[in-house]
Amino acid sequence: MRLRPTHLRSRLTLWYVSVFAALLILAWVGTCALLFWQLRNQLDHFAIEEIETVEGLFYFDPGGHLRVREDYHNHPNSKDVIERFLEVRGPGGTVLFRNERLGNRALGGVPFAGEGVGGYSPRSARLSDGTRVRLVSRMHTLDGRTLLIRLAHSEEPLYSRMKDLLLASLLVLPAILLIAFGAGYGLARRALDPIQQMAHRAQEITPENLHARLPNDDADDELGQLARVFNQTLARLERAFEQLRRFTSDASHELRTPLAMIRSVGEVGLQKDGTRAEYRDIVGSMLEEVNRLTSLIDSLLTISRADAGHIQLHRSLVAVTDLTREAAGLFEILLEEKSLRIMVEGDQCAQVDGDHLFLRQALVNVIHNAVKYSPVGGTISVRVFLEHGDRAVIEVSDDGPGIPVEDQAKVFDRFYRVDKARWRESGGTGLGLSIVKWAVEAHGGNVALDSNANGGCKVSISLPAAGPRQLRKNHSSVLAETGSPSG
Amino acid sequence: MHILVVEDEQKMAQALHDGLEADGYSVRVAYTGEEGFYLIQAQPFDLAVLDVMLPGHDGFEILSTLRRRGIKTPVLLLTSKDTVEDRVRGLDTGADDYLVKPFAFPELLARIRVLLRRGKPYLEECHKLADLEMHLADRLVTRAGQRLELTQREFELLQYLFANSGRVVSREMLARDVWKETARQTPLDNVIDAQMVRLRRKIDGQFERKLLHTVRGVGFMLREEVDS
Repeated sequence: MRLRPTHLRSRLTLWYVSVFAALLILAWVGTCALLFWQLRNQLDHFAIEEIETVEGLFYFDPGGHLRVREDYHNHPNSKDVIERFLEVRGPGGTVLFRNERLGNRALGGVPFAGEGVGGYSPRSARLSDGTRVRLVSRMHTLDGRTLLIRLAHSEEPLYSRMKDLLLASLLVLPAILLIAFGAGYGLARRALDPIQQMAHRAQEITPENLHARLPNDDADDELGQLARVFNQTLARLERAFEQLRRFTSDASHELRTPLAMIRSVGEVGLQKDGTRAEYRDIVGSMLEEVNRLTSLIDSLLTISRADAGHIQLHRSLVAVTDLTREAAGLFEILLEEKSLRIMVEGDQCAQVDGDHLFLRQALVNVIHNAVKYSPVGGTISVRVFLEHGDRAVIEVSDDGPGIPVEDQAKVFDRFYRVDKARWRESGGTGLGLSIVKWAVEAHGGNVALDSNANGGCKVSISLPAAGPRQLRKNHSSVLAETGSPSG
Repeated sequence: MHILVVEDEQKMAQALHDGLEADGYSVRVAYTGEEGFYLIQAQPFDLAVLDVMLPGHDGFEILSTLRRRGIKTPVLLLTSKDTVEDRVRGLDTGADDYLVKPFAFPELLARIRVLLRRGKPYLEECHKLADLEMHLADRLVTRAGQRLELTQREFELLQYLFANSGRVVSREMLARDVWKETARQTPLDNVIDAQMVRLRRKIDGQFERKLLHTVRGVGFMLREEVDS
């Protein structure tokens, strides 16, 4: 294992062992402290019992010296008697008595105020030679004289026992931690193994075998979920890749077509001598294809920028009905040429928060399609209304030939054209509706197409509405009617 | 009028040279940025057409060095990148205009005319071509003394054609300048063509001498006679 572990497994183990060690030490220290406290309490208790016994055993001998009766114990050399330290002080702190074991050493120094009155003042102290003792005091009156009795036991055995315990723990703890480390490492390894397997499998997935998926044995646990999410991502990726591949091949086909025409027209034109007018015609024809190529590339650029998310919407409040009318107005002359009628009726309150330019482009494209496919003398009807108060819907219906059911899902695809034979005359790039779809979806809306066998086609654009709802009026009025031949 | 063209693509440079000379300018071509930089410092030009993608120092670098040295020759940048950032960068560097390749040649000519005319507002009250007359103040158009009824759009269109009289105007120019359409992809070609058909019907319909011509693949032109 390295010093700074890079493997998750090692890191997990380290964390586990650290936490375990910290808890273990905490528990150990707690136990020791409790034990120490209990033992000392016991010592105090014991000393108190003894001091209560001993205070009744003092007497003054005829010489006025304080003595203690040792005959109380049935065994004069009882352990308790031998091991205790005993000191009696008179008023003013004069030492009246020290037992044999204490000898010349002072027990607890000068008496302090309230010592031994009402309680036993248990405390720790040191004798002059450094011996740690646990000390209790008791104020006692004997023959009219006030005595301060102090009794102590050595704390040294207690400390030595604690030291032993600590030593034992120093030996045992590392062993326990070692075992914990082994167990933790094994567990982490077991838990992380499937992830490593997944990583290996994922590494093998390249653009060429995007159909490969990760193993997903137990779908319900966290790893199963991870695998499932990963697989879903892969599926999306595969779809996107497939789309891109198709788009690239379609695009190259679309680009090749005008290029092929430019080439043929040029080559054929050069094969024989022609008049000036003929050459002008040839060059003009080539330039027409160049224009087509240019607008195709412009559209492709827009789409690829949209795909890459590089297009920013400059949002503002847009009045949908006005915008629709404006877009329809653009084709006024074409409507007149084809004797088409366009009816724009709309809810003046329908507003969306959107990019004026892109929304206009979308509407222009949809209406342009309707104009292209409407028969001479037909009617295009455009309806703008609020749905459920929170969607602004724009419906553009024409009475053109309609779109076969099997093709309806594909009309928003790139380069899709309903009339494959005739599209060049109408001059589209096959990208108009896919730009519409992008623009509408970028605004959080959706676009749908509805067409039936009898002909006629309705494109509905639904956008999130903006603006105050209370201003909404349910009645719609005919706001514009353009296109009826005027001259 | 002297124009400097800095363009490394031989064919493109040749086309620019020939096209601009045909329009009456005297043209000098530089094939590298360094050469262009030297020329523009050595002799005065009325305008420079500068390609952005040049080997060595690109157009942006040359332009910013020129501007730093206080050379104020109007510069029109040519580039094949048309992102907004590129446009902004070009204009920030000190370009006077910006044209995206591939462009329509009439458009280049129109932009050059605008740049050379800059500062000298050019307003004519009255246009005349053969027997077609246009009085802007009265919104009056006559042909052979006979008054023509034009719609607002037709009037604007004719005015634009007059302003570029004798030169081709492309559909792109019309979409941008007459229809005020900013997005390049707006499908206006059919609209423009139909509008042109109508205008022609009114202007030329009953007259022997045709004035409004279609130049196939390029655009339209108001001109008294056509060569072919």
